[in-house]
Amino acid sequence: MVFDDFVGRAGLTSAMATFNLKLPPPFDEAVKSMEREIMRFLMRSTGDREDAKDLFQETWLRAYRAYPTLKSEDGLRPWVFRIASNLCRNRVRDRMRRARVITTASANGAALPESASSPIGGGPDGVLHLKRSIARLPGKQGQALMMRKFAGLEYAEIGAALNCSVESARANVSQALRKLKADE
Amino acid sequence: MINEARIGIARDLQLIRRPEARVGVIPSPVGRLLVAESNRGLATIHFLTMDGAERTLEKLRKKFDLIENEASTRRVGAEIDRLFKGDMSVLEHRVDLSVVESEFQRRALISLRTVPPGAVITYQGLAAAVGHPNSQRAIGTTMATNPVPIFVPCHRVIKSDGSIGNYGGGVANKLKLLRAEGFDVGRDLRLPPRAVMGHRKTRIFCRPECSAAKRADSSRTVYFADAQSAAHAGLRACKLCRPT
Repeated sequence: MVFDDFVGRAGLTSAMATFNLKLPPPFDEAVKSMEREIMRFLMRSTGDREDAKDLFQETWLRAYRAYPTLKSEDGLRPWVFRIASNLCRNRVRDRMRRARVITTASANGAALPESASSPIGGGPDGVLHLKRSIARLPGKQGQALMMRKFAGLEYAEIGAALNCSVESARANVSQALRKLKADE
Repeated sequence: MINEARIGIARDLQLIRRPEARVGVIPSPVGRLLVAESNRGLATIHFLTMDGAERTLEKLRKKFDLIENEASTRRVGAEIDRLFKGDMSVLEHRVDLSVVESEFQRRALISLRTVPPGAVITYQGLAAAVGHPNSQRAIGTTMATNPVPIFVPCHRVIKSDGSIGNYGGGVANKLKLLRAEGFDVGRDLRLPPRAVMGHRKTRIFCRPECSAAKRADSSRTVYFADAQSAAHAGLRACKLCRPT
């Protein structure tokens, strides 16, 4: 039968590829292939176990909802890191905003809630300062820096995640580092 | 820590998970086809000779978690092969119309599946069958966007003037499918001269010019290529016009 010849020649699993029809891997496989990397990245970015676990779950849920928009396996890694780094930055910014509210309240003589005394992210002051500085960086610079320093992504992957060129990714990281240095 | 987080993810995903569909490319007598099948039935057949396969995949991915699966698509390929060898029972394969957004379109496609192999229906007749006798154009759009051709037999829909009309998989494939089902179309791409009209409720078939045929409700009528095909489908000849 013609069908068997076709399978023998092309191999059915590559038949879609011969028509340029690509699918990313099944979602559960994508999670398995990247879960350790993403957890490490989140731990380094937040410095807090509970935060990292929470953001880990949120990252994968968002990834699942948006999975139909991912074209192929090639873009998977930068795409997931982009989601994770966005969530990290938003988390740090939210905490900074709340810290400002608490600081204002204390200056006005209001009683501070217990949680106000616990540092954001639970790390030493230096780490806290670094996270705040990173959160203050403009969008792509902050994300590029986090992906490079906390996840070890190559510039090409950072470019894919941020939808910019490799040169732009490199420039964003070095500009971010310069600004952090100026902040010290 | 990852194990704990995995449990949380699995719990939440269970609530929002899309159903799974197996997808693959198969050869067939009507060319290479992109096929997707869920647990509820065939969800998509796309003729790869036509454009738009990527868009078809995008639409599928919004409704299903797609997985390339050889065994599943091989089975569908084998069924289409059997169809072309005369086994019409394969057309009873269940279909999953999840990607069809409109209730009207779903009803039209489901109604179309009741037109037997070897018969054809007009756009107007199908519109009438779903309660909208003046909506031939909407039926035309529905046929053009039918996600599961062959198994939802839009190849069995023709124009009211007797011409065969268009087909999303190409007119040549429409003719191939009709002929495989025993409906022989002439070179002029029109109803053959010996075509008869069959009434789905009375189970009687007539010549088209018969007064009974002219009075018949178009929502209940289909056409057969000739009297033998109509008789083969279980209808009996009209005693007024005596079609042969």
